[in-house]
Amino acid sequence: MKREILYEVDGVALDFSVGEQHVTAVQKGSIFIPKSEITIIFGPSGSGKSSLLNILSGLQKPTSGSMKYKSENIYTSNQDSLAYYRAHELGIIYQTNYWVKSLDVLDNVALPLYFLGYSRADAHDKARSALERVNMQSYTHKYPYLLSGGEQQRIAFARAIVNDAPVIIADEPTGNLDSKNGDRVIELFTEFQQNEGKTIILVTHNLEYLPIAQHLVQIQDGKMTQIEHKDITPTVKQLLSDVQNRISTLAAKGAKK
Amino acid sequence: MMRNTRGVDRKILLMIAYRNLVSKKLRTALTLFGIAIGIGSIYFLLSFGLGLQNIVTNEVIGNQSIKTIDVTTPNSRIIKLDDITNQRVGDIAEVTTLGKAYFYPGSFRLSNSESDAIVYGIDEGYEQLTYLDVIEGVLPTQAGDIKNPIIINIAALESIGLSSNPSAVLGQTLSIQVPLEKVSDNLEALKQEFTVAGIISSGGGPEVFVLSNVFRELGVDAATQLKVGVKDVASIEMVRSQIESFGLETQSPADTVEEINTIFRYFNFMLLGFGGIGMIIAVLGMFNTLTISLLERTKEIGLMVSLGARSIDMRLLFVFEAVLLSLFGAVLGIVGATVLSALVNWLLNLLAGTRGVDGTFWLFSYPWWLFVGAILFMLFVGFVVVWLPARRAEKINPIDALRRE
Ligand SMILES: Nc1ncnc2c1ncn2[C@@H]1O[C@H](COP(=O)(O)OP(=O)(O)OP(=O)(O)O)[C@@H](O)[C@H]1O
Ligand SMILES: [Mg+2]
Repeated sequence: MKREILYEVDGVALDFSVGEQHVTAVQKGSIFIPKSEITIIFGPSGSGKSSLLNILSGLQKPTSGSMKYKSENIYTSNQDSLAYYRAHELGIIYQTNYWVKSLDVLDNVALPLYFLGYSRADAHDKARSALERVNMQSYTHKYPYLLSGGEQQRIAFARAIVNDAPVIIADEPTGNLDSKNGDRVIELFTEFQQNEGKTIILVTHNLEYLPIAQHLVQIQDGKMTQIEHKDITPTVKQLLSDVQNRISTLAAKGAKK
Repeated sequence: MMRNTRGVDRKILLMIAYRNLVSKKLRTALTLFGIAIGIGSIYFLLSFGLGLQNIVTNEVIGNQSIKTIDVTTPNSRIIKLDDITNQRVGDIAEVTTLGKAYFYPGSFRLSNSESDAIVYGIDEGYEQLTYLDVIEGVLPTQAGDIKNPIIINIAALESIGLSSNPSAVLGQTLSIQVPLEKVSDNLEALKQEFTVAGIISSGGGPEVFVLSNVFRELGVDAATQLKVGVKDVASIEMVRSQIESFGLETQSPADTVEEINTIFRYFNFMLLGFGGIGMIIAVLGMFNTLTISLLERTKEIGLMVSLGARSIDMRLLFVFEAVLLSLFGAVLGIVGATVLSALVNWLLNLLAGTRGVDGTFWLFSYPWWLFVGAILFMLFVGFVVVWLPARRAEKINPIDALRRE
């Protein structure tokens, strides 16, 4: 199977200057995101993962370089087109769930469709079937912020798939969940990639999820490194054995005291 | 791929705005209350000002049509209101009706009582333009068979102590004396008997009305006053200047109305000023609510933008909130002001009743344009107040909004 490239990130860097301080969130580098595969971006806290995602999702114009989606330079188009890109091409999931508090689950899930200009009735129909797909159809008239973290994350998933967008971007979707609920959410991602050919871009620092990816981007102090397809399995093994070693040394230190 | 969105359905934005207001019940209620007080106090005071203006106008010009002009001569020896002059006035294009009145001080005698009165001789035109309000019987031109009909006003009956049972006077004989020899040397005094055909309520002093022929037959060739009915209020000025070019003097109830209106324009402005104090409460409350709503919902707005909302839609969301607040607040305020004014009116009537004022009065006036104007004004204020918060909503950067914990 020939790989198709969906995103081309070319010589992109992102700096922030807050007053006198300058922070380089993403160092100049180039990566790509393959179409219909799961790409995982991983790295330690503060390394620039969210910053990279924000660039990909059209929310953050990079300081330099270009970001192409389907060979089109996203950041050269106007604000409305960027909004359209997000509403039409992306499903976005965050680590912490954000809701419009005054709206119930159904309206919250329907939001991306509203922004595409759907009528309320049509949007509700689609939102209901999205909720069914994550098995949350009985929650339609509850208020999302009152639900458990796992339930909220599934509803967030429904909101991300409601517009049937080709790309799903998720920033630490399992960050607030226990491993059981985390696994269930990850399963939803693999299902969607396998059954519907969605492109999935996932940020996580949970190394045990790395094996589900077909493409990896490691990021360390803002420096992006892509891991070739053939190297994924050995890299993951290496990373996991590093973790194993860390656990052993920590355990040994603990035992000495 | 980069085609523009249709943008979010306005109805949905309105729904979200509405939901947000409903989810903050207490705050929304307080804000609405503030707006209602602001717009309500303006509405209350203005409807009072307008009502008062109506009452004053009615008191002053009574039942006169304001589409009339009174014509007199500055010097009856030089310019007379004779048939030639009257013809010229009547020929002016915009003049629809011409009435002639002859009136002189005189006296009358009825059932052995005598009193001074102004004796009017009027024709049909004058009768039409003056709207004499008949309470018993008929007006002189409608008297038909009654020979030598005369109309008498309540004030005249009062002067001879017969006002308690006016209908008893109908059909009685009334004799009149007018010393016309004082008007012109070649005239004799009018001394004649009449039959009472009608009783009217208008007029402050004693007045009696006979047909104008009575004076003409005695050789009076010039009327004392002309009453000119014109096509519409707009042509009053033009007709007046034409009549004045004949050397005559004119007066119109429109003058008085204009004077009253000028006074009330200042008065209403003053009331508006008082109402403005209430409006300040409304504006501050609304601004406060919208600003708090903005701060509270920075994340929500960031979320909506990251889910594909256009920034302009977020601005509209706030505008809709302001519109909802203004509209409901204004309606609430107007309803409240109307109820309050009805209550005040009722109390004042009650009070006036105990002080011996008879007849009820309605102190407030609620023209439709005041209602529509109050709502439009509040909407305008709403737009002004929401301008800043809406701009800030539009400028929210989703990344910053969502990063903030
Ligand atoms: N808007 C901003 N203004 C200033 N500095 C920022 C901004 N956004 C990110 N940074 C900085 O850029 C660096 C990368 O941040 P980023 O949020 O991308 O890290 P991350 O890998 O997502 O971390 P985490 O795993 O904790 O979410 C951090 O040092 C952060 O403080
Ligand atoms: Mg992050």
